[in-house]
Amino acid sequence: MKTYAYKLFILLTLTVLLVGCSDSFLDEVAKDETYADNLYTDLNGFKLAKNALLHFPRQERMEPIQSAELGVIWKIGTDIGWANTELSWTRGLNQYTTADLNGMMQFLNGDTEGRPGIFLILYRCISSANLLIARSDNPEVDWQGGNEVENEANKNEMVAHARLIRAWAYRHLVMTFGPVPINTTEITGENYRDDWQRDPVESIQALIEEDLLFAEQWLPDNSNDVARLSKAIAQHYLAELYLWQNKPEQAEAKARAVVDNPNYRLITERYGVRRNEPGCAFMDQFYDGNILPSQGNTEALWVFPNSDVDNILGAYGNTMRRTWVSAYNNRNIEYSPEYGGRGIGRAAITAWVFSIYESSDDRFSEHAIRKSYVDRDGNTIMCHMSASQMTTNNHIWASTRKWDWTYDNPSRYGESYSYADQTYLRLADTYLLLAEALHMQGNNSESNGAAFFINQVRQRANATPVSTGDVTLDYILDERARELVTEEPRRETLMRTGKLIERTRLYNPIASGQRDGGTGIQSFHTLLPFPQRIIDANTGHPLKQNPGYN
Amino acid sequence: MKTGFRLQRNPAKIIRESQIKSYNKDIKYIANPKIQFKYMNFYNHVIVWRGFIHTITFRRMMMRIQLVLLSLFLIIQIHANDLKAQRLTLNANQMSLENVLKEVTKQTAYDFLYNPDLLIKHAVPVTLSQINKPLEDVLEYIFKGQPRLTYTVDQKTVIIRPKKETATPISTTNTATLQAVIRGRVINEQSEPMSDVTVQFQGTTRGTKTNEQGLYDIEIIGNNTTLVFSYVGYTTEEVSIAGKQEINVVLKIQDANLDEVVVVGYGTQKRSDVTGAIVSIRPQELENMPYSNVVQSLQGKLPGVNITNTGTSAEGDTRLRVRAQNSINADAGPLIVLDGIQFEGFLSEISPNDIESIEVLKDASSAAIYGARGANGVMLITTKRGLAGKTRIALESMFSTSNIINRPDMMDATQFYNFKQQRMGFVSSFEEQQYQNGVNTDWLDYATQTGFKQDHNLSISGGAEKTKFFIAGNASRTDGVARNDVYNRYALRINMDTEITPWLTFGTASTIGYYDRPGEGANISNASRMNPLTAPYDEDGNLNFQPNPDDLNIVSPLEGLNIQKEDVARRILTNNYIQVDFPFVEGLSFKTLTGYNYRTRLIEQYSSASNTLRGSQVGGSATVNNQNREEWSIENILSYTRDFGPHNIFLTGVYTARAYETKFHDNSGVGFPGDHMSYYQFRLATTLTPSDQYTKESSLSQMFRANYSYDSRYLFTFTVRRDGFSAFGANNKYSVFPSAAVGWNMERESFMQSLTWLNRSKLRLSLGESGNQAISAYSSMPTMANQYYLDNAGDPLIGFYPNQLADPTLSWETTRQLNIGWDFALLKNRLSGTVDAYFSNTRSLLLNKQIPQINGVTTIRQNIGQTKSNGIEVALSSINVQSDNFSWQTNANFTYAKNEIVDVGLFDEAGNPLDNVASSWFIGKPIGVIYTYGFDGIWQETDDILNSHMPTARPGDVRVKDYNNDGAITVEDRHIIGQNFPKYTIGFTNTFAYRDLSLSFFIYASQGATRYTEHMNTYFNGSTTIRQREWWTPENKINTYPANRDDSNPYGLNYFGKTNDASFIRLSDISLAYKLPLSITNKIHVDRLELFTNVKNVLTLTRYIGMDPEYESDFGIPQIRTFLFGARIGF
Repeated sequence: MKTYAYKLFILLTLTVLLVGCSDSFLDEVAKDETYADNLYTDLNGFKLAKNALLHFPRQERMEPIQSAELGVIWKIGTDIGWANTELSWTRGLNQYTTADLNGMMQFLNGDTEGRPGIFLILYRCISSANLLIARSDNPEVDWQGGNEVENEANKNEMVAHARLIRAWAYRHLVMTFGPVPINTTEITGENYRDDWQRDPVESIQALIEEDLLFAEQWLPDNSNDVARLSKAIAQHYLAELYLWQNKPEQAEAKARAVVDNPNYRLITERYGVRRNEPGCAFMDQFYDGNILPSQGNTEALWVFPNSDVDNILGAYGNTMRRTWVSAYNNRNIEYSPEYGGRGIGRAAITAWVFSIYESSDDRFSEHAIRKSYVDRDGNTIMCHMSASQMTTNNHIWASTRKWDWTYDNPSRYGESYSYADQTYLRLADTYLLLAEALHMQGNNSESNGAAFFINQVRQRANATPVSTGDVTLDYILDERARELVTEEPRRETLMRTGKLIERTRLYNPIASGQRDGGTGIQSFHTLLPFPQRIIDANTGHPLKQNPGYN
Repeated sequence: MKTGFRLQRNPAKIIRESQIKSYNKDIKYIANPKIQFKYMNFYNHVIVWRGFIHTITFRRMMMRIQLVLLSLFLIIQIHANDLKAQRLTLNANQMSLENVLKEVTKQTAYDFLYNPDLLIKHAVPVTLSQINKPLEDVLEYIFKGQPRLTYTVDQKTVIIRPKKETATPISTTNTATLQAVIRGRVINEQSEPMSDVTVQFQGTTRGTKTNEQGLYDIEIIGNNTTLVFSYVGYTTEEVSIAGKQEINVVLKIQDANLDEVVVVGYGTQKRSDVTGAIVSIRPQELENMPYSNVVQSLQGKLPGVNITNTGTSAEGDTRLRVRAQNSINADAGPLIVLDGIQFEGFLSEISPNDIESIEVLKDASSAAIYGARGANGVMLITTKRGLAGKTRIALESMFSTSNIINRPDMMDATQFYNFKQQRMGFVSSFEEQQYQNGVNTDWLDYATQTGFKQDHNLSISGGAEKTKFFIAGNASRTDGVARNDVYNRYALRINMDTEITPWLTFGTASTIGYYDRPGEGANISNASRMNPLTAPYDEDGNLNFQPNPDDLNIVSPLEGLNIQKEDVARRILTNNYIQVDFPFVEGLSFKTLTGYNYRTRLIEQYSSASNTLRGSQVGGSATVNNQNREEWSIENILSYTRDFGPHNIFLTGVYTARAYETKFHDNSGVGFPGDHMSYYQFRLATTLTPSDQYTKESSLSQMFRANYSYDSRYLFTFTVRRDGFSAFGANNKYSVFPSAAVGWNMERESFMQSLTWLNRSKLRLSLGESGNQAISAYSSMPTMANQYYLDNAGDPLIGFYPNQLADPTLSWETTRQLNIGWDFALLKNRLSGTVDAYFSNTRSLLLNKQIPQINGVTTIRQNIGQTKSNGIEVALSSINVQSDNFSWQTNANFTYAKNEIVDVGLFDEAGNPLDNVASSWFIGKPIGVIYTYGFDGIWQETDDILNSHMPTARPGDVRVKDYNNDGAITVEDRHIIGQNFPKYTIGFTNTFAYRDLSLSFFIYASQGATRYTEHMNTYFNGSTTIRQREWWTPENKINTYPANRDDSNPYGLNYFGKTNDASFIRLSDISLAYKLPLSITNKIHVDRLELFTNVKNVLTLTRYIGMDPEYESDFGIPQIRTFLFGARIGF
């Protein structure tokens, strides 16, 4: 017994010593996590970081806050859009009510449940891009090219993607909030800041230009790969930036580069999955199955891939149809693929937009606009389109069919989100930028000036060509509305052209204050309020709210 | 004290003692292992001669003596009459004496006490014929024929013993040594013998231990005068030996009194020697108010321990906090230590019946021994151990039913229909049709049921001289009030201690548990949001899994009932120790305590394509969660304790290491060819989405503690602990936590003797530092999150982006606390209590600091900022009435806690701390305030709105308080309107006992918290926000709630004054227990038989209009009222 106990004692003592001697006992190895240090080591790691970056722009069409696409903030309260369902925060932009449109708005700040608002999404995107850019300078990175030149090309293509997406984010920020803080460095736990200052618009424009020029240089002319962006996107945004900066010659050059790129052409003929069904060429480019360049889409500059395979990683809930299609189910109408699936009518196109189409225009045809429904009892219900019918919760308001999509399975006809591929940026938009650039230089010619390029877009849709004499900035903006309604971040276009207040007052009876008797849109509303949460957290330096907001 | 002597000299008392003596002579030769023994019922009381009597013991003794005296007079009077009055008829022919006695027992109320061996040896068969004779005569007749046996009668017990001339009495042969040997017996309050009780001469280490029968003998050496009887968990008795040969003692289980032995972490101490603020409770004290989760039953019982019942699931949801919250962000729950080993996980998995005691270390000095884990207090849970002696079997069974009370007020179909029409100007065609068809569904009715619970505990404990055991089995099944919310617990505990050699002891405390959570409960949260115009079942009685065709994604709250699910957790928890009591150095011992805890949980779930929404949408959906947690720890404890005259020293050194590892491997799959293989067909899934998780935490610590006391009068404690923890930054893994405390037992001073009203008084003062390491693994590392994209083929592209900033210097929070305490007993101990006051400063807070989102994240975790807190805790225990048949005892405790933010790491240029508004942290204000616009009533038609601070408002709109009076509502008008935590809480228990019946009720009150309620949400989304509210209308111009319009609450207020005040007073428990008297239990050969019943949640008074002022969510299971019935029996 004694020996046994003695052995036990020795054993215990040894255990104590062994544990005590282990130097690495407290070292941490997070086996299930990835860190910048082990991600950005080779080209493959940079590609993984790029994949995450590519998702940020898609979030514009998701609904982190209050069940409407995030991008709706650039669409309602303008000449083209209004809020069919008035939630507290959409009311702010719909009617420009002081109590609702302020720095506390959730879609700017994020909501109480931690879902991000527009500000966090954009700056998170910028941070991710900055990290990739910063890490690319590490000489240790294996760029997996065969030689120095290939290495350089591989590296620059990764950086070009990061800079393009960073420019995309700053573009939204500066066009929405005006001066915002610039950050281009990697943020760590040691160098984060709470004393940010708002940099002037010019500096931000310069950064965007620099980023886009780099992207233009290093991105491919063309890409059939949805995860590899082409230089056309950079050139498109450069054209828009130069227009904003009132540099129409430079804008023209960049827009022309896109228009002249042989890889991109307007869709003028029927193609793709529904080419044998009634329809028009214009709408063919919005059908799932026709979106990707590899599926024959020559007009798309930037597409967002999606997948309706359940639970697949990389699919995302796109809310465009849900946002823009009315909640017709309230009127005894069954959900169906024909009606595009379920709409909840958070936003709607203004009566004015419906009023500016010719009847021959494909963009106003029954293929492009939902004009009537048939209810369960077989009655045909005509949709509303007149200004006097722009009342809250109008369940039969006419809607765009660009985003129609639902599952094949009848029990899923009413599902919330769309899992269809979608185009984010189209060549038609570039054509209209080019027209604008030419118009700004006084060239409205039907043969090689603004009218020519506008007519390329109009003729494709069977609309009557515009004559040289009719081209004005307002006409171009009208044409943009006809072509790009619900696609274009309209607020930004109108801000850029200085037309927001004027046109909104003219064409949107709700935002003008006419419908509800309020004061409506004011000149300070050109910029949205700066998020209060950022002001509150930036304790090292007081940030000023945008003028006019409390 | 003098009175005591006189009383004990009372002639009646002497009679009593002589009886005891005669009885004890019998015991002397009963030291036979096969003994069967019945006890006289009077033996419940301590009957001892005492020279020196401890004050509190003395007080108790006095009461007992009074009782005894009273009962004795009665007995003596009844005695003679009774023996005559009891008549019986007996016929026997050469019947064994034993059988004759059994017959007597049957016919009378008398029991016999004897040693069976004695009868075998000495009894002579009996022949008699007695018809309707008094018992007295019959007994006399029987024993006339017994040459070697005689008897005495005590109350209702007849004691048989040998006749003087035939016995081999020690008393005759050893007359010379009579003074030199003392014998006796030690029993507990249930009259069961206690083995292994230490019997020592006071001030020496000389002594012995009692055997299985509780018997001992000890030789008197030298001039020792007092014997000390001690056993862990029991009161220590000190008895003078002057002139005595026999000393019999009843040891009582410790109550919340000053003599108890308390577990202080890495050892135990007598309550009177403790210098820190430690509260303790024995769950047995609460056994008539049982809960599934032991934490629930502690609410309001321990001052300074704040327990909130946050929900009503079958397992019981609680939040546990000790003292004021110091931490702003970090986990603020106390460290749980089970049988000396840190415990992680579900407290609902510990069987409350296995618990012997719970101690909470509140102040920094006592908690500092747990160093970086101690700042939020430490809860020490100790399970029961075996007692040597008779094997005891105890069975307890409980049944309870629960029903929902305080249902949230939901709209019915008509209310909803009208409300929606009014608010939105329409109802959908579906809603119109359902309304016309008279559909009116109360979804909560469908989702809830009467809850039912049964809980059975069986324990067997006992042991021989060297090995003792406690084995307990628990089976409980709880059907919660939410349908299909089931929690089944099956656990087996084996606790054992064995002395391998006189200097080496091995012990274990081990549990094997099986925790079954089958089925997916009805979703109460969804049920509280369901449109009343939808119907749960179709015409064929099948579940409508798309109940609302307007929104096909609305999941039926009852979908869970159709989900196939298994969820079983299995746990092995084994804490083992080896203790070496060094034979060569007196008082030195070494103990290695190892803990091993392995818990695996497997959750399997299938939503079929045919009868669930989820399954129908994706072609069947299966998930499996594989959770493995493994934890080991080793604690090496070296301790040395010794008395040097009046000096006592107690030194403890600890070296400990611990590692905790979790591995989760989960999978989910959708799109299956069929349903019949449920969750066994992952290989057939269209899409599989696996996920994995791994964490590991490790820590290394050293601790040293020195206790010194002089004459148990002046007490000193010093501790220091060094802790290392893996989750802290690479260069910051270690820290040191010192503490010191002093105590003064004033009653041991001579001047206290003159203060007759003050029986006990002890002052305590402690100061120390402890830490809060409660950050999870990898907090100091900048991890990346996933964000995916797709390629042309629609296949996933994996992506990573940075979503966490990490501070490599991250470390623990440090709390420095000063505690002043007073323990007292007044008015002959009828009123006793404890008062503690504390002041804490916490620095290097682990803050999730809100930073501008410009940094790409919203927060970063850092060690910045300071808080301070203070509080007062009072516990009072009062014996209001104490008479023979009736007693009334009140226990009350009061907890006041206040904290405030000192700084949050932000300073202006002059160095003054700045608020962090984004996080709602304000200098000088409490942690957890509600910072928003203030409610100032409703705009009325008669108000001059145009010239007000809200000129665009309409009558019926919420009036926001213009806090800064600048004539407009701006963000500057936000201010603090309340706090999340109560300012003070009160627990109040009254227990009335009348003979064997006891009634107690418990009231809990909490004041000062403000809570959100869904009832105050003015938003309406057209379908799911269906709480019934009273709205402002031009006809009903209320000033409490706005008009039924989307824009009537433009600033989105959620707090509307009084209705959000979560203060409450609750009659939480009423319990009634009946203990069958011994006269009955003796007959049926059981030691204890009790019946009890208990009602929970009897009444709540509050202005809060949400579901329950304690609940975190207004969408959980509503509050329930429980009726419970139970019985316990012990052999």
